[in-house]
Amino acid sequence: MKRLNMSIRIAVIMFPGANCDLDTIHVLNNVMNIQTDLVWHNYFKESEYDGVILPGGFAFGDYLRAGIIAAHSPALDQARMMLKDNKPVIGICNGFQVLTEANLLPGALLQNNSLKFICKWVNLRVENNKTACTNMMKRGEVIDIPIAHGEGRYFADNLKELEENNQIVFKYSTENGELTENANPNGSLENIAGVCNLEQNCIGLMPHPERASEAILSPKGTIHGQLFFKSIIEFIKRRLS
Amino acid sequence: MFEDAEANYDYVLAGPGQDAGVIDIGDGYCLAFRIESHNHPSAIEPYHGAATGIGGIIRDILCMGVRPIALLDPLRFGRLKDNPHSKWLFKYVVKGIADYGNCTGIPTIGGEVEFDDSFKSNCLVNVACIGLGTIEDFKHAPSRAYNPGDYVILMGGSTGRDGIHGVTFASRTLTEMSEADRPAVQIGDPFTKKMIIEATLEAVKTGYVRGLKDLGGGGLTCATSELTGDGNTGGNIELRKVFTREPGMNSYEIMLSESQERMAFIVKPEGLESVLDVFRKYEMGFAVIGRTNDSKVLKVFDGNSLVVNIPAKALSESPTFNRQEKRPSYLDELISQKTPVPTIGLDECVYRLIASENICSKEWVYRQYDHEVGVRSVVKCGEGDSGVLRIIGTDKFIAASVGVNSKHCFLDPYEGVKGALVEECGNVIANGAKPMAMVNCCNFGNPEIPESFWYFSKSVDGMNDFCRNLRIPIVGGNVSFYNEDEVKKIAIKATPMIMIVGLIKGEENIITLPFKNAGDDILLIGETQAELGGSEYHSVIHTLEGGKPPSVDEQKIKARWDFLFELYKRNIVKANHDINKGGILVTIAEMCFKKNLGADLDFTSCYDSNLRDDEFLFSESVGRFIIETNHKEYKTIGEIARILNVNIKKIGVISSNPEIKIKGLKSKVFSLKIDKMKRLYDSVISALMEI
Repeated sequence: MKRLNMSIRIAVIMFPGANCDLDTIHVLNNVMNIQTDLVWHNYFKESEYDGVILPGGFAFGDYLRAGIIAAHSPALDQARMMLKDNKPVIGICNGFQVLTEANLLPGALLQNNSLKFICKWVNLRVENNKTACTNMMKRGEVIDIPIAHGEGRYFADNLKELEENNQIVFKYSTENGELTENANPNGSLENIAGVCNLEQNCIGLMPHPERASEAILSPKGTIHGQLFFKSIIEFIKRRLS
Repeated sequence: MFEDAEANYDYVLAGPGQDAGVIDIGDGYCLAFRIESHNHPSAIEPYHGAATGIGGIIRDILCMGVRPIALLDPLRFGRLKDNPHSKWLFKYVVKGIADYGNCTGIPTIGGEVEFDDSFKSNCLVNVACIGLGTIEDFKHAPSRAYNPGDYVILMGGSTGRDGIHGVTFASRTLTEMSEADRPAVQIGDPFTKKMIIEATLEAVKTGYVRGLKDLGGGGLTCATSELTGDGNTGGNIELRKVFTREPGMNSYEIMLSESQERMAFIVKPEGLESVLDVFRKYEMGFAVIGRTNDSKVLKVFDGNSLVVNIPAKALSESPTFNRQEKRPSYLDELISQKTPVPTIGLDECVYRLIASENICSKEWVYRQYDHEVGVRSVVKCGEGDSGVLRIIGTDKFIAASVGVNSKHCFLDPYEGVKGALVEECGNVIANGAKPMAMVNCCNFGNPEIPESFWYFSKSVDGMNDFCRNLRIPIVGGNVSFYNEDEVKKIAIKATPMIMIVGLIKGEENIITLPFKNAGDDILLIGETQAELGGSEYHSVIHTLEGGKPPSVDEQKIKARWDFLFELYKRNIVKANHDINKGGILVTIAEMCFKKNLGADLDFTSCYDSNLRDDEFLFSESVGRFIIETNHKEYKTIGEIARILNVNIKKIGVISSNPEIKIKGLKSKVFSLKIDKMKRLYDSVISALMEI
């Protein structure tokens, strides 16, 4: 197989209890053709990689509070160093929870308002297309993507600040991009599904782009998740050039 | 008693008697699968009972050296309406499965739920797991210790006092005193299980693991005696090497603890450090607790004192019982019950049926399960008759379905279990898969009561006869007896749960359930008979349990399956749904829902002077299908049906108007609104379960 992006190398962190790590590796390596390594959290060295993804799952079982124990892994110190070099740090689902607990992203993820785990396909509206994982999307574009979480209700006490700084990346919407209460699966503040830091190189989102990158897995045959990964590559290329 | 699957089917790699059945699916891959029960613990403590059921079945699959990739959970409860106890059991069993399965990252891709008051105090929680790996990995890890001199390692969680006598508790009837047995229910730890999965698979990859066994019922006692007994070796075990959760545990407690999340490894001496390094990486607890030898004797030492000295085979080989069986005397009267004439219209009957707890959507359940993790789920929960997973790196797909109709089996266990086999095979066939193998989980009452044992005995006969005749290997089974409420003297309805795993080659050969295009033909495959015994129609509309239940004509079933595969070869089936509870109209409505289509039905071609309209519409005769095809193909289809001697009828066309219009019956024309049916179908369970 031809490797299109030979020089770029991404790490997917394997925390104990991560369970979307292999799925993310599969999509990056086999679908997007990006050289990606699965790296045990204690062994991760940021200097060897151009970007890092913290995958979904239940790091350390999420017994105490989702993401709190993983937030103290040495992998997060490495991630902080990456951000200083403007390398992208992306958290998907549990990875998003880890990034908020590590204070790399604002806000917190609370238990869904239904008090239940929810696994379903939803729609997201792109609010900010300047970030490391949305630069190949259009602002206002609606994408199909599934969620699977019990603690995904986004909350932040500085909403105004987030809005002013363009830190809201994705919102749950209807197919037509309307931000209704019904389109909000978990009771998130202002339908927020994903946010970024001020520099827009650290992004977290609850939905799973790795599950939305192959037509065969998608109820409507869409592959919107690929835009997410293509954006990460584009961001890295721009940084390197 | 069952046919020897390993000897008679070249693709069966492991059959009954192993921790799981294993089949070769080509391209160097194998599938392992098994189903078992966790009924008694779940009836006392639904959350942890169900969770540890999932934990146990995952370990069984892991023992075969392969990665668990899917869970399926058939459940039974008392009816929910006006029954807080059933709601409590249902809510926490589902939550227990969800929390455990979701955390370990194994998708729950299917299952079924039936509500019937015979399960009011004895709910059933059956759990099935499918594993995928290379044949190479499977061969590395038999659940036997064949070689003397190997190390015995215990890995995973610590050993505590929980679950002591869990198995003996599960083999008694439940009484008012059973609440006191709550400590016999184990507590699950899905995070540790996830780490055990990763550590075990990585250890197997080293090539130094020569045997694997999970610690389930009977704990260390069963694991060590089965490893050495079945491997025809012996061993010395040092009990004080076992890491315990609390001080002061005596040797009896350590040997019988059923603490969760533990695995026993048999490791080549030269590979000990490599395997232990893997466990260290994952920060798993472990202890080298002994070595195998060729003495054929299992010796257990507590410090210097020898506490067990027993021939290894003595415990691994089970005793046999001779049980009395007797057909229950009440059956003749029940089966002779006639279907009363309905006092409400046929349309109202359908609306009530679609809103019955046993027919309506189970979305409330599967939304709580992560059914997509693993990026393999192609036909997802609620989208088809079975769950379909892709095998990444090949052009193959597997389809799995599990279930049985307990009401049918209550009236006739022999035909009932055959019906279940027809139904579960039919479910995978409806998605385009060829049935490859079967595993079963037999849930019955107290076998010491001849009537209860008769149900078991007839069910086993039915499985055996059907599977031999239709060439389906039985690769595993599990039995749960004593599902009987001793106080109220109520046994559960016989529930011989059947799981079928099938194989599809090529993405283009996956068939799905929803109707695709207005204007296409709707065909009915198979004969309909007045078989309403144990039907939803009898239960919902007439509050009847009896009547003549469906029976199975194996030759006709075989011909219909062959017919469908002939059509599949020509790529002319656009949708397929097997007819199940509620009958023809419920099936067609379910096919209309997704794309909000309707159907113009004309049953003139099905006219039978001996069948009343309600008998025809609500019959649960097994092995029938509704398929969608283009009208241009009708001639070809008719020709194939004639050659294979299969009864097919064109019963209508798909319409873009979301309504089902019905004519050609003895009674006058009527119609059903798709939006009303969908609303009823979707709302029942959540309305009952949410405040």
